[in-house]
This record gives sequence, C-alpha cells and structure tokens, in this order.
Amino acid sequence: MKISIPPSWRNRVARYRLTATKCRDCGRTLYPPSEVCRVCGSRNVEEVELINEKAKLVTWTIIYSAMDGFEDRKPVILGVVETVESKARILAPLTDILPEELKAGLLMEPVLRRISEEGEVGLIHYGVAYRPLIKP
Amino acid sequence: MLPEEKTGILGWGSYIPRWRIDLKEIADLWGFNPEQPEELAVLEKSVAGVDEDAVTMGWEAALNALKRAGINPGEIGAVWFGTESKPYAVKPSATIIAEALGITPKTMASDWEFACRAASEAIRVAIGAVASGLVKYALVIGSDTAQANPGDVLEFTASSAATALIIGPRDEAAAFFEASASFVTDTPDFWRRDHSRYPLHGEAFTGEPAYFKHIVGAVKLLFEKTGLKPEDFDYAVFHQPNGTFPIRVARMLGIPREKVLPGLVTPYIGNSYNSSALIGLSKILDEAKPGQRILLAPFGSGAGADAYSIVVTERVLERQSKALKVEDYLKRKHLISYAKYAKNRRLINRIV
Repeated sequence: MKISIPPSWRNRVARYRLTATKCRDCGRTLYPPSEVCRVCGSRNVEEVELINEKAKLVTWTIIYSAMDGFEDRKPVILGVVETVESKARILAPLTDILPEELKAGLLMEPVLRRISEEGEVGLIHYGVAYRPLIKP
Repeated sequence: MLPEEKTGILGWGSYIPRWRIDLKEIADLWGFNPEQPEELAVLEKSVAGVDEDAVTMGWEAALNALKRAGINPGEIGAVWFGTESKPYAVKPSATIIAEALGITPKTMASDWEFACRAASEAIRVAIGAVASGLVKYALVIGSDTAQANPGDVLEFTASSAATALIIGPRDEAAAFFEASASFVTDTPDFWRRDHSRYPLHGEAFTGEPAYFKHIVGAVKLLFEKTGLKPEDFDYAVFHQPNGTFPIRVARMLGIPREKVLPGLVTPYIGNSYNSSALIGLSKILDEAKPGQRILLAPFGSGAGADAYSIVVTERVLERQSKALKVEDYLKRKHLISYAKYAKNRRLINRIV
C-alpha cells in the first residue's frame, strides 16, 4: 500500500512520539492531536507527548485477512489502550504478544516499530505499537 | 591530559528482542553436528520480530541511555549509528532515531560502516568531538539484525540486539574514559558485496589473522599507552562472535575468564554484531561499582579493533535502575520455531 509522502512526513513526530492534544478547558487528552478539542469544541488546547506513559489494554481485535503491506504481520493484532495518567485512548498495533496472552487491563508500553512498508523498494513507515510492560 | 580523560559515558542502554531460537533447531535442519552449539558455547540466539529492524532496536537502546543520562535530548550534537543491517541502503537511519527522540534538528546524524566495529569507531570520534568542545553530548548506537546465509555456520550466531551510549563531559559521567587505541589492517575475513543478501567469510581465517590479531594488537597498544596491566582491570569485554573466542583472547592477554564472564552475553543471545561487545559493557555498567575499571575491546571484520580503559564513577549507582537492564531483556524470552524465525528474518521469498 503506497502512502503519500507529504502527509506521512507531516505526521511523523506525532507517530514517533505520540504527540496528543490536551484540552485546557475540559481536561481531556486526545490522540491523534487536533487544533480543536473533539469533546468540548474548545480551541484552548496544548500539545503533550505520551511516549513515556504506560497504558492499559482496553480491547483488541485479531485480523486474519490483512490488507496489502501487512501480509507478513498476520495475524495483525490491533488494540485500544488507555494511557494510565492522561486517560487518552489510542488505537495502535500490539506487538511482542501472542494472541493467548491478550487480557483486558494488561499494562503496556509504547515502542517504535515498523508499522508498514511499501514493498521491498518503497518507504518504510515507522510508528508506535504497544507491547506488554517488561518491568513494572 | 589525554582527550579521553575529559569525557565519559553519561547514559547507557540496550535492547534485545523477545524472540529466541534454540540453536539445536538450526543444527537439526541443516544437518550439522548436534554438538555444534555447545562447541560455539552459544545455546540460543535472539531474533528480531517481523516489525523490528536496526532502527527500532536502536531507538529503544537509545531511549534507555537517555533515561539514564537524564539530559535534554536537544543538547545532543551528534547521533552516530553503527550497523551492517541498515533498513535503507541510502537514507540515514540516524535521522529517524534522532527525530523520534526529539534530538533534531540541531545535530549531526549519520550511519557508520565497519562491519561489527562501526559503532566503536563512532565512540572514538565522539570522544574527540566532546573533548574538543565541538559537541556537548554525542549519542552512539550499535544495532544489528545480523544476516546469515541459511545453512551457513554463521547462522548459529547471527542475532539481533542494540546498545547505545551517551558520551559527554567527564564531570557528568557514570564512567569516564582513561585512554583508547585502535588497530586496523586490510584483512578479508568477512564481507558482503553490494546487492548480496548475505555476507561471506573466510571460515577459520576469521580467527587468528582477524579477531585475535586485531584485538590483541589494540589492547597491547592501550597497555603501552597507559602503563596499565591485565591485573588493573576488574572486567574485560571483548567482541563476542561466539562464547569461546572472548575467553581465548583473554587468555592470550593474561586476563582470567572470571573477568570476562560477567560481560559475556553471546551464549544467551548470539552475536549481535555492532552491539556485541557494547551489550557486554552495558551489562557490566548495570552491575558495576564505583572505582572499578573496565577493559572494552570491540572488533570488526575487514578488519580492526579498539581498546578502551573505562573507570566507573559514583554516579553509576543512581543511574543503574533508571532504565531496563540487559538482565531484564535476557529474562524476557519466548522460543520460536525455525519456520517463524525464517519468516521474521525474511528468509522466505514471496511475491508481495
């Protein structure tokens, strides 16, 4: 699957460091970042990074029929995690985990991984995946 | 005062993937002598996951080093990435890691190549850059998803791991450099041509004229330069292509095996190339006490070796628990089959 270079490049910092938006009015932290709070509509928001925050696994799905560019990853495990302090909900690939190890509430941490690649000669797209916490 | 004495290691960190393969599986599949893993003194090797490469592993090692150093990433003036398994042939890996760690844009960043010794040469240059005042801090990363031709004896040991060091002023360091030396010649012991997927090597030629000659050469230069003797060191860490060479080279230098064993990681994860000697140093720093002296001697085919004398300071104690230790990664392991290893390492040709 080919991803256009400019939007991929513009979003790289958010993808690498989990840049999110914290609303100064309602207090919610939202990922991906946005200039407007998607909960209360306020523009009074600030950027925060969630790359050093642990998270809890909320839910997940196991995908056996993956789209182009993800064939080697099958089964692809996608999860929704909630960061422990800022309570942001993030949809991300789960990695270093076997399907039988998935459990709601599992503590996880973000790591930089190859998310997708454009065949053998195209770009490699890096981003954050979540893995089970190695050490509490 | 030597330039080395003005500098030290502020933070260190490593990374080992979760996945391991039992070397008996490789011996069985390719019809090797079942005793081969024991003869190499390596039992399992680490295997990068399908979503991992030298960049992702180097990122985590560098993150651990940053946690220990406790510095502002924006003050790092050089990101130097030593590898022989770059994800891109052209496009720096160093810039991806620098961007992901918030070090960009006011920094140098480049990838270094000298087989397993690229990161070590970067350490020597980082010492010079810090000592001269050209940069305040330098981040050096050694990271490899080592390749081996399936069925080649190299496949027993070629593994995946990464180690990173943050080099900066001695008065902020957890361990400072006393001196260093390099020993380099044109020796064709191991190579990979452009467009070749796997490296080739000179079998036994990788031993005496390559590994042993160059490491002994570099360490003797260090001894001459400093007046230090084997008994002055508490630990010795050498490049670790297997579990036996480091013990043999130590014996040639008059260093007892007890000083080598604490930093010998290869028996558990294989040879992680640019991280091979450095992960041994990382493991020792995880456990070292102030005042202890470490001999570090990485080697790279082609061929060359470096030797460093490193003295641990009081600051090591407060930094040891600030990030995951080598031991934490060694304990986190899950054995996979040869088939899964082949898939992860892209040894199976598919049309995608």
